[in-house]
Amino acid sequence: MLSIRGQRVFTKAKQLTLRRYAQVALTGENEYTETPNYPQIQDMALQARKLRKRQAVYEKIKKIDTIEEKQIALNMPRYYGWPCIMLSDDRFPYSAMPLVQFYTRTHFKSIETLPTAYSETSELADSIVNEIKSQVEDCIVMENISIRRSDDDQLEESQKEDNVAKNIVRQINRIITNNAADKVPHILPSQVDYDPRHEAFWFMGGSNVPDNVVNWRKQYAPLKDRLYEPIDRPVQYKGTPFLTVRNHLPLKPFVPYSEATNPEFKVEKFSYFPESVGYTVEFRHGTNIPGFWPGDLDEFGLLSFHGRGHILNRKESYGLQDNLEALHCQAMVASFGWLLAQANYQGFTSYNDITYPLSTQTVITNGHFISLYAYQLNTITMNIDMIDKNMKHNICFGTAPMKLFETIENSQVKGLNQDVLKMLVQFYLNTPEAREHEMKPYLGKDIQVIADIEDDNRRCWLEDRYKHLVSNRPKHNLLPEVYLWEKIYKIKHKTRFFEAKRRPFELGVNPYKRRLDEHLPPYIPKALRPYPKARKKFETTYYPEV
Amino acid sequence: MSTRWYPIYQRGNPQLRIFLPNFWMKLVHTPLRQQPNIVHFQCSMEMTKHDIKNYLEKIYKVPVVEVRTKISLGKFRKDIGKGYVVKDDDIKTAFVTLPKTTTFEFPNIFEKKKGDVEDDLKSLEETKKTFKQYIERNRDRSDIPSWFSI
Repeated sequence: MLSIRGQRVFTKAKQLTLRRYAQVALTGENEYTETPNYPQIQDMALQARKLRKRQAVYEKIKKIDTIEEKQIALNMPRYYGWPCIMLSDDRFPYSAMPLVQFYTRTHFKSIETLPTAYSETSELADSIVNEIKSQVEDCIVMENISIRRSDDDQLEESQKEDNVAKNIVRQINRIITNNAADKVPHILPSQVDYDPRHEAFWFMGGSNVPDNVVNWRKQYAPLKDRLYEPIDRPVQYKGTPFLTVRNHLPLKPFVPYSEATNPEFKVEKFSYFPESVGYTVEFRHGTNIPGFWPGDLDEFGLLSFHGRGHILNRKESYGLQDNLEALHCQAMVASFGWLLAQANYQGFTSYNDITYPLSTQTVITNGHFISLYAYQLNTITMNIDMIDKNMKHNICFGTAPMKLFETIENSQVKGLNQDVLKMLVQFYLNTPEAREHEMKPYLGKDIQVIADIEDDNRRCWLEDRYKHLVSNRPKHNLLPEVYLWEKIYKIKHKTRFFEAKRRPFELGVNPYKRRLDEHLPPYIPKALRPYPKARKKFETTYYPEV
Repeated sequence: MSTRWYPIYQRGNPQLRIFLPNFWMKLVHTPLRQQPNIVHFQCSMEMTKHDIKNYLEKIYKVPVVEVRTKISLGKFRKDIGKGYVVKDDDIKTAFVTLPKTTTFEFPNIFEKKKGDVEDDLKSLEETKKTFKQYIERNRDRSDIPSWFSI
């Protein structure tokens, strides 16, 4: 590991001199009990010791007080970031469904009408649809016919479709919220985000071990029996919905939480390499961002709108059925990603499972076709220790794409599908509700975000570090490169054994294993050090201890 | 299409009527890596994705949904006896996706039949016997090569 040359402090030596009168503390008469009270016998096998070590890290992350520090803690082991499998909401390879279902642990249920939870708002929705349908027709005509977009010829078909859809979604959102604001109480205090940044990060166990890992293990004799030991694969979701609506209260779950362990919802294991399906790996810090920063009060999502322009980019040979599955995949991954980020803001992480379900509603549309999805998040721990033990599954209810209208003739919308519009209105009418249980069991009592920290230095340092971390800007000093000639003549074939060994790979340093805090803190110039005698040369860092 | 240099036609020469492309594809066994509807091939460097797709669809009537290719670096190895490092040729790998309803199982080409093992043992015994005879014959002239015989 790279060593840090800090200032010389003889902490050990000081302890020795100061504790001159220390003695063993006697517990008194209670040292002996009637029946022998042995400490628990621990399994000292290597696997068991490793498991305990991992669990200690999970426990430490659970005990951290603030949201942001937990996020830094997730990234502590990697200075140059995790090699993340990148999932997005606008690129789905052929036959993506098995991977997406397993990686989000989601059972998909195809439905024709909305779940029973929506039935109570049926009448109100009917009256709203009657009031707004002419406005919706106007907005559809307006966006499709009356607007000339000057940059259209430079755009791809998918981008054009998304541009139209985005405007229609904004208009429809405006129309519905304006109308329903005085009919239901939760719409007025809700916040609307345009093009928010949705990112989610989690660890995924249960996949086959990649070749490079196996080859690396083959070099070392003690790892001979552990060549195929499972590893966690970090996964990062990045997406940008057209529009989201969020509230300070969470939506009600669609099915009871006890249903989460129902074996009916079991998802088939997908252990093949995600690279073989067509996903890429990128080195980056894991980020969990649900479209707002920690501390925002409206922290539960109600509804999000996504585009489906990416369907036009898919090859014709994929077929219609696979395009439909791609839409389902988009809904599952987008809903899971958003809810996971929200769960992270409640203090849960990929290591510490949620204690209550969260739900969201997702709409995928291109302005003409609309598909509606209701998603319930029951679990977020899928790492190597939990993937086989965790019996909970997430549930997604989804419809096939439905036409919002038939055609536009003579600047008039023909055949507006009121049923679809009604379902959409019902999504808006789904009332969030305060929960009776504790929402943030793993966050501090008084200090939940770093803005609550009183120590100025610590608060400012953590804020800077967190924002810099999640920005994922490239490092100032890039990763030490192994040049091809070095790989050929120094690593593969030791033809230059007589040369001095100075490069990291010759010193046994793996730059990828560098920890986040393995760097020299900022230097304090002598003129700025407190008078008279301060020997502290470097500023303090406040990395969470994990 | 082909990188072969065909002889320039001179009057009176026999005409070359067959032009063969140097397109070839080799099936590679990579278990546990991908779904059963994805097949790995190594193919000639000149082939593009469209070539690969047409090759499989037109010649072998295999339905192809998608082809992804990558060119991987050839291995570096020490030349035997010489000691210097040489590089093998780069390899173009094609990942061919079949429709998801189809599955591909790599054939076991060298399958042993029931009597095969016994036959192998028999021939091994035979070889051992002739070798022993040869040693016996040349017992008193051990430093003479085998081809120097009457």
